[in-house]
Amino acid sequence: MVGKGNQDSNENLPSDLSQSVEIFRNRLGKSSDFKAREIILPGESSPVAAICYFNGLVDLKSINKMIATVNDFLLGENQGKPSPSSIVDIIPGDLRKSGNIDNLIQAVLDGSTVMLIDGIPSAAIVSLPGGRRRSVEEPSSQTVIRGPKEGFTEDVATNIALIRRKIRSPELRFEDRTIGRVTKTRVSVAYINGIAKDEVVKEVLTRLDRIDVDSILESGYIEEYIQDTTATPFPTLINTERPDAVAGNLLDGQVAILVDGSPFVLVAPVTFFKFFLASEDYYQRYDISSFLRLIRLFSFLVALLLPSLYIAVTTFQQEMIPTTLLISLAAQREGTPLPALLEALLMELTFEVIREAGVRMPRVVGPAISIVGALVLGQAAVQAGLVSAAMVIIVSFTAISNFVIPYFSMSAAVRLVRFALMLLAGTFGLYGILAGGIPLLIHMVSLKSFGVPYFLPLAPLSFTNLKDVLIRAPWPLLKTRPSYISSDNRDRQASKKQSKNSK
Amino acid sequence: MNEESRLAELIACFILFEIGSTTLFQMAADAGQDAWLSMLIGSAVGFMLLLLYLWIHKMNPNRSLYELCIHFLGKWIGKGVGFMLVFYFAYESSRNLRDLGELAAFALLNRTPLAVLMLIGILVVGNSVRYGPHIVFLVCLALLPTVILSYLLLIFMIIGKGMVHLEFMQPVLENGLGPVISAALPETVSFPFGQSLLFLVFFPLVKKGKSLGKAMMISYICTAIGLTIINQINILVMGPALTKVIMFPLLQVVQLIEAAEVFERMDVLFVIVLFVGLGVKILMFYIGAVTGLAQITKIGYRKWVIPTGLLIFAASFASPNFSHHLWLGIDVVVNRVDPYFQFGMPLVLLSVMLLRRKKRMQK
Repeated sequence: MVGKGNQDSNENLPSDLSQSVEIFRNRLGKSSDFKAREIILPGESSPVAAICYFNGLVDLKSINKMIATVNDFLLGENQGKPSPSSIVDIIPGDLRKSGNIDNLIQAVLDGSTVMLIDGIPSAAIVSLPGGRRRSVEEPSSQTVIRGPKEGFTEDVATNIALIRRKIRSPELRFEDRTIGRVTKTRVSVAYINGIAKDEVVKEVLTRLDRIDVDSILESGYIEEYIQDTTATPFPTLINTERPDAVAGNLLDGQVAILVDGSPFVLVAPVTFFKFFLASEDYYQRYDISSFLRLIRLFSFLVALLLPSLYIAVTTFQQEMIPTTLLISLAAQREGTPLPALLEALLMELTFEVIREAGVRMPRVVGPAISIVGALVLGQAAVQAGLVSAAMVIIVSFTAISNFVIPYFSMSAAVRLVRFALMLLAGTFGLYGILAGGIPLLIHMVSLKSFGVPYFLPLAPLSFTNLKDVLIRAPWPLLKTRPSYISSDNRDRQASKKQSKNSK
Repeated sequence: MNEESRLAELIACFILFEIGSTTLFQMAADAGQDAWLSMLIGSAVGFMLLLLYLWIHKMNPNRSLYELCIHFLGKWIGKGVGFMLVFYFAYESSRNLRDLGELAAFALLNRTPLAVLMLIGILVVGNSVRYGPHIVFLVCLALLPTVILSYLLLIFMIIGKGMVHLEFMQPVLENGLGPVISAALPETVSFPFGQSLLFLVFFPLVKKGKSLGKAMMISYICTAIGLTIINQINILVMGPALTKVIMFPLLQVVQLIEAAEVFERMDVLFVIVLFVGLGVKILMFYIGAVTGLAQITKIGYRKWVIPTGLLIFAASFASPNFSHHLWLGIDVVVNRVDPYFQFGMPLVLLSVMLLRRKKRMQK
């Protein structure tokens, strides 16, 4: 449990209560949110016990109840001189004892309550979690029409419970690490024993143990530390807000990494095509899901290539455009001052600005931005003759296609690569797009995510795994888990032969 | 680099390599309407060569072509032969680079200088070489379906549009077997079929299994038939006389296709498929040369990528114009140089291997 950077000084608690409370106060720098409530019995001058906690991290009602119980106990049958250690026995709830000051202080920082008792050199750590946290809500970044509406929260314990509720198997395991020398963030690695590959689980844990940094504030930190290669725009780990997606991935044999403080759970190893699967695919009819998957892949290509193809075709390969369309395009472009490349770059950049503004701006000014964006930069720009109407159509369709990709990290990568391809298309036309596309393809094929080739199951080719990639086969046919991810335990359902035998 | 590739990946690469730039030109144009016969004869002889290479590989499956040369021909002779092979492969690569540049200038960018086009080509290919043969095989596997589908679609469209005139097939053997055979030997044997020699460098990279030879033979036969059909389609559409004088006949055929007003100039899109084939060819010869240098000199693979690239780029300027380039390619290299490398050298190697085995058996 003890992560790196936690130096154990093995300093033990003194048996004198006021002295211990003083140590706590000094160690925590007399922080104003630290509370040490002392229990003083009537007629006595010194307290018998003290309850230490941070305001806002614990449930005050439970603490009051605990104090009442202790009071009742001390004033009741044991009136006089109760043995101090017996107090511990009557405290309700999840309890462990410790005499090490560092451990106790860490426990208080973790949000536990520590009960110091006069006369004994150890204290009780009680977990009475409380305080305000966001409740389980519908995920904001990945929505579905059909399927569970709950999303992860910032609290790792809640997130673990959300997964546990979906997979009620003794084989579902969580392994914890504490990462971050200052933040001491709880990071939990989830996998299903016997389905996930042991090497992958081990590799994930080794990479997590290698992290030595002062703070982990979001799962993005972890992602950058444990990904296979940094020099790539493409994500090699999935992050998702959906417990059902994580549960599905765990059942495929993947490993999930939950980070306290972030509703985004990482999943590894992943392949390129996993970024085009939405969890909804498995809840809808297979034919519709397959169609939607193809639409998503098509949108990916559109988002990546459409502006550069438009630039290449209008600048260099006009002969490819049918004559009637060419005439109308030429008429539109007649009044516009900029060459197609600059026009496209300008419009794309403008759109990126609007999009960034949409994320950053205060929600109240939202309508203003929409009006400016839609009217001024769309219609008015065309009417003023600054950009051609065709370019506005191209940019809008590209932007909308980009939103179809279910995972934001992948659509961000596409946005980045698109600009490079546009520049190439503007200078060398189709030849330039090819000169950009081939290195891109090779780069993607060479990528690996925790040892799994990124372009599986297309390259290397694996026929058995194609049933759940570009299309989704009906559930009764999805008899096996993806072989490149899961361990040898691959059967999802009894095959026909087996079920006959069992009858 | 110790990983092993799977057979399917190598085969995909082999098919793309064989298609390569072959469809760009008219094979056995001198045979006129009997080009298909020349192609079949050429591919049959090429098949013998493939069997020869597979035999060499089977006798010593763990060594690449260069290692075989050094091991069996002695250190100095072997290295000398190795270096000659390296230069041969690099030269073949540069020829394809020139083809790529000329094609790009012809079909896409006729105002951009050839040097710039070839520079982009060699940069893209050089970058791919950096990843090593295993990744390249994988990429070939990813590209293969697109390429094959494009060719199939093309054939269907040409036939569906009624552009094929079967009467151009006749008269069969108008001038007897003579011109057919002289067009086939050694021209079509050397290019493209005999170039499978290069794969002796790559065979040891594949996971060991019995089916390598069989898979190579099947894919070779299928590719050879496919190439013959495509080659003949040029003639069936445009007639033997016209086909002979056009620089890129298949491109011309594609240009003739008009479908639904929208797809009027499919040749521009089809050029991309041709680029893929040419690119794979440049790439594989390039990798063959770099692997050779690495294995002969024992200096790391990656260190040779840039020097070899410069060499290939420089060599691609060897001809002042495209006509000279074609003349050099067909009259000199294909007819007088290729046979020594594709037939003579492997034959010597095989005989030495057989002799040494016999000697060992006697002992």
